[in-house]
Amino acid sequence: MAIDKNSAVENARNDLARRLNVNAADIKEKSVEDDDFPDMALGAAEDGEMSGQMITGGWRIKLEAQGKTYEYRADKNQVRAFNFKGKNYRI
Amino acid sequence: MNRNNFFIHLALALVLVLVAAFAGQLSRWRKQWRSHMGPIPATEKKRATTSEEIALTETRSFGRPEILVKFKSGVSQETIERLTAQRHDRVEDRIENVDGLDAIDDLDNADAATVVSEYQQLPEVEYAEPNFEIELDAAEPLVPVLPHDPQFTDQWALSNSGQRGGKQGADISATLAWATTTGSDKVVVAVLDSGVDYTHEDLVENMWVRPASMAPYHDNELGTIDDENGFNAIDTASDPMDENGHGTHCAGIIGAEGENDIGIAGVNWKVKIMPLKFMNAGGFGTTKDAIEAINYVIDRKKAGVNVRIISASWGSTQRSRALEDAIRKAYENDILFVAAAGNSTVNNDRNPHFPSSYNVPNVVSVAALDRNDQLAKFSNWGAKSVAIAAPGVDILSTWLGNAYEEKSGTSMATPVVSGVAALILAEHPRMSVDELKKKLLASTDPIVALKGKTVTGGRINAAKAVE
Repeated sequence: MAIDKNSAVENARNDLARRLNVNAADIKEKSVEDDDFPDMALGAAEDGEMSGQMITGGWRIKLEAQGKTYEYRADKNQVRAFNFKGKNYRI
Repeated sequence: MNRNNFFIHLALALVLVLVAAFAGQLSRWRKQWRSHMGPIPATEKKRATTSEEIALTETRSFGRPEILVKFKSGVSQETIERLTAQRHDRVEDRIENVDGLDAIDDLDNADAATVVSEYQQLPEVEYAEPNFEIELDAAEPLVPVLPHDPQFTDQWALSNSGQRGGKQGADISATLAWATTTGSDKVVVAVLDSGVDYTHEDLVENMWVRPASMAPYHDNELGTIDDENGFNAIDTASDPMDENGHGTHCAGIIGAEGENDIGIAGVNWKVKIMPLKFMNAGGFGTTKDAIEAINYVIDRKKAGVNVRIISASWGSTQRSRALEDAIRKAYENDILFVAAAGNSTVNNDRNPHFPSSYNVPNVVSVAALDRNDQLAKFSNWGAKSVAIAAPGVDILSTWLGNAYEEKSGTSMATPVVSGVAALILAEHPRMSVDELKKKLLASTDPIVALKGKTVTGGRINAAKAVE
């Protein structure tokens, strides 16, 4: 099922809450912007993952928790945590 | 030497110098008189007047004998030298292996046609002919071939007429290449991607199908797999139907059927696309599945399928020795591996992108150009690590459900180069992978924006590639 912008933000918020072990309600939505990403893993490939090198439209989601900003990237197919503690995750 | 003898010798030397100087001046006068006075009487030469004669004159160059004369059998060398001396000519060379054949130089620099005519009239001569300057045949100018596929006018990569603000001629000269070849269904290109919608109406005729005479694929670990329509490394029990669209797009660039009055034309109008699926509906996949698919291609090549190219419009920044080894194995099996340089606007010489940056002889790394011959704003580059560039922005091609979409990326530039490689093989089927890569890299148009950015500094030119 295709992911829309709202469900992408919701997925990202829940994922961050789990990773930080905080309440999802304590995570603030800083920005959600349409953007083009360099590949089909949205420029956030996991280890050992290969992706199509096609410019892919999606959303750049920035969330704030515990005084820090965290970035997620999403499109209709996926939501990814970008550079969370130095690594990317597909959620 | 006494004083008197000294003066006698000095006088003699002065006389000799004066004689030599006078003889030289005489020769110069003779030449000037010839050149200023035109034709000279009696046995003298005339200038070329007919077009044929003028043509002969124009091909003549100083410093080489102007005619070749075959004297009849039995004519002595003494006689030959006498005849040439009488005409103020000289024997420049004797062709030892052909009796009586001499290369003769006219010391007056008359035109070859006249000299030939003179010698032909001699009873001692069997034949005489000009020493033609051998030149490459002037190639017939190619006439562009335009397909009637209705959306061809939107395919700026193949024929850029300046549509939508583009630069006229900033294309791969496909229409000129098609005057030589439009491809061959004997050439199989493996599209290692998200699969291919092999039912697309603009692709269906150009899809590879396992021949009935060939047994289904068998792998010791994977078991027997029905690969009638290609190979699915994600789920070997399924066929390689595309669920994303990316692989179908790449396949259309290589080989959407041309001149079928439907949609677009591929770089090849005729070819066989072998779908290999290792990326899922999201457009990403694992290194292990990519390796499985490459292994499948090699096995099918060994089984007799003429699969000579793997088109790889994917990658990452993570190096995998296992993937590199699989690509090297493909090289050892005479298979070219064309790979996307990546879309992160970085220099691959410093920040390598894989598989395009593997130092394996069959890898061709491809950067993307826009419709104005500029490096695409997203494209990676590399003076040492990126071989060549091809159009990769707003590229129209096939999509899921008999649709067509415009997409951008080095993903789109890569199948352009794969397609040109297939055209080359259509024309030169026995070409080795080394020769094929060399030919590709020698078939570019230099682009200012690519200077110092790629190995070749040029955009692929299909017409040059199939010459």
